[in-house]
Amino acid sequence: MKIKKAAALVLAVSLCGTMFGCQNSSQPAASSQAASAQSAQVSSAAAQPVEITVVTSYGGDDGNRGNYEAAVKDYEKATGNTVKDASGTSNEEWKAKIMADFETGAEPDVLFYFNGVDSNKLVQGGKVVGVDEIRQTYPEYAGNMKDELLGASPVDGKNYSVPVNGYWEGLYVNKKVLSDCGVSVPDSNYTWDQFLKDCEAIKAKGYTPIACSLQEVPHYWFEYTIFNHDTIATHAKVPASSTDERGKAWVDGMNDMKTLYEKGYFPKNTLTATDAETFQLMADDKAAFAIDGSWKIGWFQQNAKDIKDFAVTYVPAENERKATDLIGGISMGYYITKKAWSDPAKQKACVQFVEAMTADDVVAKFGATNVTALKKPMPTPDGADALVQSALQMVNGKTGLAPAAQDNLNQAARTALFAGIKDIVAGKQDAGKVIDQSLAIKG
Amino acid sequence: MVIFLVPAFLFMGLFLYYPFVMNVYNSFCSIDGLGTAAAGMNQPWYENYKKLFQDPMMATAVKNTLLLMVLTIIFQVGVALLLALMVDHIRAGTQFFRTVYFFPIVISATALGLLFNLIFLYDGGMVNQLLQMLGSTEVIDWKDETHFLFTMTLPVMWQYVGFYFVILVTGLNNISEELYEAAEIDGAGKLQQVRYITLPLLHNVLCTCLILAITGALKVFDLPWVMMGEGIPMNLSWLTGTYMYHQTFTMGDVDYGSAIAIVIVVLGVVIAQAANKIFKEKDY
Repeated sequence: MKIKKAAALVLAVSLCGTMFGCQNSSQPAASSQAASAQSAQVSSAAAQPVEITVVTSYGGDDGNRGNYEAAVKDYEKATGNTVKDASGTSNEEWKAKIMADFETGAEPDVLFYFNGVDSNKLVQGGKVVGVDEIRQTYPEYAGNMKDELLGASPVDGKNYSVPVNGYWEGLYVNKKVLSDCGVSVPDSNYTWDQFLKDCEAIKAKGYTPIACSLQEVPHYWFEYTIFNHDTIATHAKVPASSTDERGKAWVDGMNDMKTLYEKGYFPKNTLTATDAETFQLMADDKAAFAIDGSWKIGWFQQNAKDIKDFAVTYVPAENERKATDLIGGISMGYYITKKAWSDPAKQKACVQFVEAMTADDVVAKFGATNVTALKKPMPTPDGADALVQSALQMVNGKTGLAPAAQDNLNQAARTALFAGIKDIVAGKQDAGKVIDQSLAIKG
Repeated sequence: MVIFLVPAFLFMGLFLYYPFVMNVYNSFCSIDGLGTAAAGMNQPWYENYKKLFQDPMMATAVKNTLLLMVLTIIFQVGVALLLALMVDHIRAGTQFFRTVYFFPIVISATALGLLFNLIFLYDGGMVNQLLQMLGSTEVIDWKDETHFLFTMTLPVMWQYVGFYFVILVTGLNNISEELYEAAEIDGAGKLQQVRYITLPLLHNVLCTCLILAITGALKVFDLPWVMMGEGIPMNLSWLTGTYMYHQTFTMGDVDYGSAIAIVIVVLGVVIAQAANKIFKEKDY
């Protein structure tokens, strides 16, 4: 019994000692001391190779997947750190998953994500670190970029992300199909009326005029059809309701999509197919037109039987919009999460990673045909194929650039809006009603 | 002895009953993102439950889930019983057929979903190619409003037939051979043996299978999600599980997702109780 009592006493004393020890070590120190201690911690911890988790949209069939993998390998080789890549394909599900990861404390260390309203929650919740804060410790951070083009947050106008490449959205065409149908490759004067005539000719020949899954990715057609009833200056503004000036443009644009559907220009299974299924029609020479972003070039390079059969050009215009007015801008960038920034072992590795991924030579590889935020002019890529050349021609001939309106909707509203498009085209819902219901969703 | 039950009890309390109680509470709150703190109670507090009755997609989800339950009884347990009876009557190859029919269970539902997506693909899918080889000129969209139910339920039925098949075969093996021999001497044919010996003696095993199938149908999620994600076509294929996931993770409407989860639990408890009463086990 005595032994038991003695053992209990020893355990109790050790426990108290441990608790006091913890208390002492957690006494608040002077802030300067803490900062220098943290700095010392960072420098000592950063000497050890670490593994960082990175999430980007360069997953799946993204055209820059190869460039991304090569850049990651170069980073790993140069720093000794390893990258745990959890990239995916950018769509509404991917965005929702990222938000859920942040909300459940499972966020990555570095995130390549949108800088519009999609990132508002990250900024408001203090989940990502500002560029200015990073520069206090790493003054050269994003020094090769123009600050005004980094893509400031709509929340507070401050920069949080560092972009790689901007984007444009354009009309991809299968020249082989067009030639077989006696249709010319659209140029800078392409009108909506001519487009409808071309679609009719293509359909009559047994081809699918437009490769698009209205069920999954109606985004790009939505963007341009509403742009056709709008101006560059106001395009990105979200309407207050379907009845105001902007709302009417949205209704008219969506009704244009309905007309295209009713005329049978989309694939027969456009309401049930995936985006991948419908795009395959382009590669298989079964469809003529598709609207998509600059990131899709790589998909064509990988999947086209002959890249010379494809070009990207201006989307047909109506009303005040010129065909040469494009949707585009800089909408994504690399964020360092607060969690990684607060981890002395990972902080430097994350900064180095973003610097490596946004270096001039890497940006040049990623964004051969894009608008970038680089201070130095971007070199024209060597050995550009026919598709890249057509993209360069299109971008160089642009008369205006408007950012995508959908980027200013919160995720839930956007999901509801795009989910409603299939109902609109099938005549089951009124465009105005879908718009109003979506706008009523507050993120 | 009670002390040994405490760890499991604590585990269940922490990871099942506490989250369940919190889920009930969340269904009355306003939460617009996973992990986001509630922005107070809904106004009125029962808003989500009112919405459940007004939401046409929820009605579709409940209807489809109940339909899936019926189809499960007919096609999963029914086909499994048929296969079990046939395998029980063959002399050679019993083990082979057991393995073959059980095999789909070990494949992940996601992989099966992708497999069936290719089988039912509109442009160049296996079924459409076969139909074209047989002279059909029409290309069928197997996910359209006419065919989606077949396309969605077939893989689900096919996947779990083997599970019930194995249970039923085990039940059949427990029936004494002497009973069949006696019946044969009395002049009973094969069908009569099944009707008057096999089915009555298999009653309890069948009841277990039916209860498992009914409650299992309420939890079906992965295969339909991979094949019919986002309610393809035209929001017609929602199940309670897929719709709850959509509301919670895609729309970020966590409180409404919680209310749907409550419906799933209530449906499960009520239906399981009813099934227990209807398919009551007998003492022999």
